[in-house]
Parts: sequence; C-alpha cells; structure tokens
Amino acid sequence: MNAAKTKSSPARRLADILIWLFLIGACALVLIPLVFMFTSSVMPAIDIMKLPYPWISDHIHWQNFWNGLRGPEGTFIFLRNILNSLVVALSVTATTVLLSSMSGYGLAKFQFKGRNTVFMLIMATMMIPFEAIMIPLYMVVMRMRLQDSYAGLIVPFLTSAFGVFLMRQFLLTFPDEVLDAARIDGASEPAIFTHVVLPNVGPAIATLAVLTFRSQWDSLLWPLLVVQSEEMKTIPLYITKFMAETHSDEGIMMAIAAMASLPMFILFLTMSKYFISREGLYSTTKG
Amino acid sequence: MRQNKRFSMEQKKARWGWTFVAPSLVFFLVFSFYPIFNAFYMSFFKKNLLSLKPPVFVGLGNYSYLFKSSLFWQSAANTAIFTVGAFVPLLVLSLVLAALIMSRRRFQKLIQMILYSPAALSSVVAALIWLLIFDPRGLANQGLNTLFRTSGVNYHWLSSTGMLRLSTIIVYVWKYVGYFTVVFVAGIGAIPHSLHEAALIDGADRWKDFWHITFPLLKPTTLLVSVMAMIQCLKTFSTQYLFSKAGAPTRPIDVITLNIYNTAIKDHNIGRASAMSILLFLVMLFLTWLQFRISKTEEVSYM
Amino acid sequence: MKRLSCLLVLALVISLSLGANAAKIIELTYWTHTDDNRTVIENRYIAEFEKMHPNVKVKRVVNEASKMGDLLLTAFSANNAPDIFNLQIELEYGYMMQNRVAPVNYSAIGYKNAEALKAEYLKGAFDAVTMDGKIYGLPLELTNWCIYINKKIFRSAGLDPEKDYPKTWEQMADISDKLVIRNGDIIVRRGFDFRYPYYLVSLLPMVEQLGGKLVSDDGKTAIVNDQAWLKVLKFMKEWGPHGRNLGSPTYPAPRKIWNKDNNDMAMCLSGFYQQGRLRIDNPAFFESNEWMVIPFPVFKDAVKDVACSYYGHYLMVNAQAPKERQEMAWKLIAFMLSHPMEYLEKVNIIQPRQDMLQSREFKSLPYMDVFMSDMDRAHSVFLHDNGYQFERYIKEAVEAVMLSKTTEQQALNTLRERIQEVLDSDF
Repeated sequence: MNAAKTKSSPARRLADILIWLFLIGACALVLIPLVFMFTSSVMPAIDIMKLPYPWISDHIHWQNFWNGLRGPEGTFIFLRNILNSLVVALSVTATTVLLSSMSGYGLAKFQFKGRNTVFMLIMATMMIPFEAIMIPLYMVVMRMRLQDSYAGLIVPFLTSAFGVFLMRQFLLTFPDEVLDAARIDGASEPAIFTHVVLPNVGPAIATLAVLTFRSQWDSLLWPLLVVQSEEMKTIPLYITKFMAETHSDEGIMMAIAAMASLPMFILFLTMSKYFISREGLYSTTKG
Repeated sequence: MRQNKRFSMEQKKARWGWTFVAPSLVFFLVFSFYPIFNAFYMSFFKKNLLSLKPPVFVGLGNYSYLFKSSLFWQSAANTAIFTVGAFVPLLVLSLVLAALIMSRRRFQKLIQMILYSPAALSSVVAALIWLLIFDPRGLANQGLNTLFRTSGVNYHWLSSTGMLRLSTIIVYVWKYVGYFTVVFVAGIGAIPHSLHEAALIDGADRWKDFWHITFPLLKPTTLLVSVMAMIQCLKTFSTQYLFSKAGAPTRPIDVITLNIYNTAIKDHNIGRASAMSILLFLVMLFLTWLQFRISKTEEVSYM
Repeated sequence: MKRLSCLLVLALVISLSLGANAAKIIELTYWTHTDDNRTVIENRYIAEFEKMHPNVKVKRVVNEASKMGDLLLTAFSANNAPDIFNLQIELEYGYMMQNRVAPVNYSAIGYKNAEALKAEYLKGAFDAVTMDGKIYGLPLELTNWCIYINKKIFRSAGLDPEKDYPKTWEQMADISDKLVIRNGDIIVRRGFDFRYPYYLVSLLPMVEQLGGKLVSDDGKTAIVNDQAWLKVLKFMKEWGPHGRNLGSPTYPAPRKIWNKDNNDMAMCLSGFYQQGRLRIDNPAFFESNEWMVIPFPVFKDAVKDVACSYYGHYLMVNAQAPKERQEMAWKLIAFMLSHPMEYLEKVNIIQPRQDMLQSREFKSLPYMDVFMSDMDRAHSVFLHDNGYQFERYIKEAVEAVMLSKTTEQQALNTLRERIQEVLDSDF
C-alpha cells in the first residue's frame, strides 16, 4: 500500500521516525510485564519487592524453578498437572475442530428446513455467560458420574458455538462446483467432507484450534468444580495453589507462571503463520 | 422413484445436512440449552442452594427485587464502565496500531507477534503478574514516579475506586490489543490494492488515503470487532475475581458476573443469581442481534 | 399380573443390592483444606484405620482453604457431597441450619451421650455446633489470634518490645506510626496491619469492646450502638492511606511476610499455628529469641474486655450419606482426633481436649499462656445463616472509609441497610 516511489521530505522523515517510536513504545509496554515475569522468576522473593525493582538480581535463583517443579509436597505433581492440561486441551481442540467443521459444513452447504433456526440457536449459546449455567451444568455432569475425570473436564466443551460460526462463515465461500463435481464422481457425503472439504479449510481450522487450545489452557472455574484429586488438577489450579497464603513465594510463583506459559508460547510461535496472515483471522470475523 | 430424482436428491441433501449438524446440536441441547432453561426456570423461584426444601415460586419477585436493588445497579454500572472503558481504547489502539503497522515495510509480522504475545498467557498468570506490578511498591508506581520525576507518590492502583477500575481495564487492554490489531491488519490487507493506487494517482497523500479509502472500507470490520469486544467485556470475570480475592476492594469491580457468582455460591441464593444471569443473557442477545444486522450491511458495502 | 412381576423384580433387585452391600467395601470421602503437615499425619492415621477396618477405603481430597467453601457448596447443592468435611465454623453453620450434616453418633465413637462427650473437651467447645441439644461436629482445631511481634524492628525504632508493646488500639496506632517506614506515600515497612478479609473474627470484637453489636440479641435489628461502630470505622479511616497511612488491604498479607523477618512487617495478627509455619519458613528466626506474642489490644475507653474471637474447624458428616457410612465416618473422625498431641506438635493446631489442655507439655509451649488467657476473654465467632454475606458487607464498609472519600456515617448507613435487608428477608 506504500507506493514505493514517494519523495522523502523532512516532514515525511520526521513522521516516519515518530511512527517507529510509537510502535517501538507500544511493543515495549506490552513486553514489560512479560519481561517482569521472566526476570522475577529467577529472583529470591525479597528482591522482587525491592524498591526500585532490580531488573537483574545479584543472585540468580534457579532453585525457584526446581521448587516450583517439586511442589509443596515434593511430589512433582506439576508434571502430572501439565500433562492433564495438555490431555484436556488437546482432546477438546480435536473434538471441537471435528464437530464444529461438521456442523459448519452442514449449515453452510446444505439446504434444509429449520437451518436458520438451528444456526440462530447455536449462535445464542455464545451469549450465555458461563457463571450463569455453572451450577445446572455441574449437576448434569455429576449425574453422568463424571466428577474427577478427564471426561468430566472434556465433555462440556466438546464443541463450541464460536467454532460452528467460524467454520460456517469460512465454508460459505467454498465453491459449490467442487462439491458437485465430487458428487458426480460418486463420492459419498462423508468422503466429500473428509477428502474435499477438510483439506481445504486449513487456515480456519488452525485458527479455531489455536483459540480453542488457548481457552482450555486458561480454564479455571470448571476444573475447580469438577476436579477433586491432586492427580487430576490442571495447571491453573496448580498455580492458584501457590497463590494461597501458606506457600506464597513470589519468585516460585513467577517461575511456575513462566513454566506454565511455555507450551502456549511454543504453540503460538509455531502456529503464528496461520493467524498472523491475511487469510487467517480475518476470515474469522468476516460474515 | 426415478422421476422424483431431483426431489429425492434434495431430501437426501437435507438429511445429510441434519446428519452433519446433529452431533453439535445434541451437545448444545444438553450442555447449553438445558442449563440456561434451568436457570430461566429457577429465576422464578426462591431457593437456598444448601436447603433440601423444594424451591418456592415467587413469580417475578427476583426480577423486581433486582430492579430495586442498588447493589444490582452498581454491578450493572461497573460492567458498563468496564465494557466502555476497555473496548474504546481496544478499538482505537488496535486500529491505529494496525494502520501504522501496515504503513511499515519491515517488521510487520514481528510487531504483530509481540503485540499478540500476552494473549498466550492464561488469565491466572496475567492476574499474578499484574497484582505484583500494581503493588504499592511495584513497577506501576515506580514507572509513573520516574516518568513524572516524582518520588514516592502512591497511585493507589488497587485501592482507590477509579484507579482500580482503570487497573482491570489496563490488564484487559494489554491482553487483547494484539488480538484485535491482528484482526484489523487482516482487514486492511483485504482491501484491494487497486483502490489505494487509484487514490495515490489522484494525488492523495498517505493520511488522505487512510482517511478516505482505508477507514471507510474498514467500517464493517470495525463495527464487528467492537461488538465482539463488547460481548467479551460484558462476560469479563477472572480479572475481577482474582483481583478481589487478592485484597482489592470489591465494590468498584463487582461486575455482574462476579455478582452472579457471589450471589449463588456465597449467599446460596440461586433464584436471584439465575435472574441476574437471564438479564445479562438478554443484553448480550440484543448485542448479537446487532452484530448480525451489522454483518448484513457489510456484504453490501464490500463489493 | 404385570404389577406383581414388577414387584418381584424390585424385591429381587433390593435383596441383591442389600446382599452386595454387606460384603461391599465402604468407601469414605473426606474433603479438607491444604496443610502439608496435617496431610502427612492424617494419611498415616487413615492407613492405620484402613488396617483396623479392612472393609473401609478412605479417599482424602485436599483443596486450597479459600476455595473449600465454594467447592462444598456446589457439591452439596448437586447432592454429590463428601461423607466427611471440615470448614471454618462460620461457613459450616449454614450446613447445620439446613440439616445437611448429621448429629454425632455418640455410641459409634464410644460415648454414652452428649454430656459425656462435652466433659472431655474445653467448656464451650461445642457451643457453635450444638442445635436442639445435639452436637453436629468434632473440633479439628479451635483457634484464636493474638499479636506476633518482631522485637528487632521494635528496637530499631528505639522501642523496648517488652515494655512498649501496644496494650490499647490507640497505642497500636501510635507505635505503628513510629515503626512505619515510607518512601513518599508508599509504605516500605509497616508496624501492625489488620487481617483484612476476616472482619467477623477480628473487627467485630473491636466494635464489641465499645459496646456495639452487629445484630441485636433478638436477631431483628442490624447494628446496635452507632457510636461504637462510628468509632471503629473512624479508627480504620485514620489507619488507611487517607489518614495516618499505616497500612491498607492492598499490601501483602502481614502474617505472610512477617515470617520472612525482612524488616518490612513488625507485627501481625495470627493464631498459634503461625509458629508451625515460621518453623518451616524461617527456622533461624523461629529459634531466635527475637519474636514474642502479646494479647489482643482493647480500646482505651472500652466498656467490655473482649479479645479476638475464636473460631473452629469442625469435622462434620454428610446427613445424606447412608447410615453405615455415617457410622464409619464418625469412627474415622474419632480415630484421627485421638491424637491431639501430635496435631499440636506437627501441625500446631489446638484440639481443645481437657486431657491435653491440662498437660504440662501443653502449658509449657511458647506463648501458649497468652493464647489461652485471650481465649478466656473471647467468645466464639459471630454465627448466622448469612454470616458470610454480613462479612462481605462489613468489608465493603471498611474499604469505603479507608480507601475512598465515604464518611463513616455514610458507610454505616449502607451497612445497616444491607444487613437489615438480609435480616428482614426470610431467605
């Protein structure tokens, strides 16, 4: 959009410098809390609350990570908890992607009576605040005898209204001719879905996968209600345990926070090309 | 059968449509509609969550109580303040950032990555970090004192009413500004190049190009993002919950969702909590309706 | 015919399930809050108990203390509650009032009746859990708070801790003013600071010292004696950042940083159990002679000598559990609680059993005399079905005067209105 051959007047150069300063400033402000997290994670707790904040401590306190890993009981339950978080987040992501693209496909490419009603109903669920349905939902899951299990953590989130919405919007632009051609070739509908549709909606699936994984990784309230044993706890629960008054050591807390954020950062870096791109996120809001 | 091929084709397609939709629909029936209907039903009853006694029907009693309750209106105001306070800066900042990023020839992706990175943190971790930053001895006070060349001024980030609200808004904007910037960058990128070129040939400078070409064409995206952000803000819970747990005064940040949680879980008043949930649900439904109207106008204005 | 066969099938199913039950293992679930030291000894008791009763399996579930109330409430409302649990008595009270917990099965734990059980414990230990003459819980711990002092900080401000320690709240404010170190408005070292969210335990007694009450004795009127309330609210306002700037709820919790002996907290309000945490957090400071415990202060012109309220954690049994499970649950509770001395030594919590309270070892524990004499001056924490709601409203009132421009009178009016509304509703 920047026409390449523009004359560079002094005013223009000044504007350029200002814009760069603004962008660098914005990036710095956004990064400060993250830098704070990483620097304080290797500090003894008394240094963190020193005035002024010593960005680099005299004594690098690597044992914060070790203590965070060990946990207050010395059982290394952190590793199990992070595994739980991964299992839950990955399962939810997989089922959400599958079920949402199925329904999105059904809603976008098939004519049937009540289609719009179904779509509107599904959209309406997006508006339900979780706190509002927390207790009835808990009762449903308890009646299924799913407390303190992976199933209890996963089942209420098998699919998402946002996912259905996203996939439908994306598939609306999918060319009908391709589908009809496959039908004429005698492909069955499930085969068309798995062999023609799914391979062609990569960016949308990647976006949905990242967002779903993120929200599951973040989930606090639901695991708090459903999980009972230490072995079934997820990472946010593990962190809040360290926020309790008995074990509060800011350095260890920050080390745990850093370790708990690592999988998200890795995912984010590897998947960034999907949602930091023109085809990625934009398609999620179009419609 | 043969002569009805066309008809049966349609029927078959309709059946397949239902087949594809059915699994999700069943799921939503059990895990979304049933609970919300349950909440709707309970909103007409008085019931102590702990009590074994059956609920007592009170008609619209819970709703009329809420409309008279100053605490409820305080929560509604808190939610409104947070929503407006967070989504305006989110919208303006992300739009400006996106426009500036697109005006650069280098580091576009890197800047977006940096801005987006807080979204990768979980809200528990974010609250943890910011609680330490907003501590009277923390970075927030230090930063402002350095900036204004003062010493030892306490800005009461977590204690005075206005600052506390501002603090929750800062956390939220920090976390999501990158997300919306990325959305806007995508929106700007989708505007055909030919339009900009035409404008530049007509002698428009970059500012005019943005103001007359980019901005109007972005309007649908902008409206859409604002409604999306607004719904997200109305649902805000974890920052306020974790801040109030850490000792910050509750009243200024007692948003509706937090009020629902406390009314149900702490006061055991499930009927009143359900009534509040239904009211919040209706407001959000109204905003979605708005979103759909907006997205209709979008199709027209793009081509 | 059809009905008959239905009945037959039903009878068959019932007899089968009964037969199965007799041989079946009894599974007990026990929810309690996180406490690493207690976990160690209770897991051992449970293992011993399971050996004594081979048909019993116990699942012990721990959760962070501040979450226990929410979790139990959700579980009880979904009829999915554990067989045994403990909570602060303020929260447990509602479970008792709503008949969600079962009375003690005296014979299961080897007592003839309530009187025999009471005789073994400190007088008044069961007051909070007695309803219609029946006892609904056994005390896991009974706790009151006194003031811990770091002597070094006192001396560094030119004070002699043994003599100059605060006896009145007025002195408490003056001494804190001497101890406090600030960087501008920002407090770097505090003298004393309150235990903010726990207003029923620690703030209400201050009001009572001046003759005030939260609720009138007949339970119908909120806020007795405005003057007492206004004085306490004024004291808090003076304490806060808009007054003498001695502390505020948004600084880190005092009892947590006091242990670190990092020259940032001179005094904190805590129970005997603080010593157990201190021993782990900072053994050097624990062993040193540099800390002491003093009684809960009283206002200069107090009309009543009231110390910080004591509160209990009572082990209770779910009333919905089948009878046999209830009986076994009480047996397990009684077995665990038959080791009061180990609870005291390893976990630093006091189980108010006469035999232990009278023992020499108990009396010779550091500063136990201070705690016990304060216990004599105190009463059990304020109990009400909606106690938690009241505490939240008091919290709002205190925060309003301390952190905003709200006057004491305005805050008190709002508080009265809120609490009166709860009293008037028959919820």
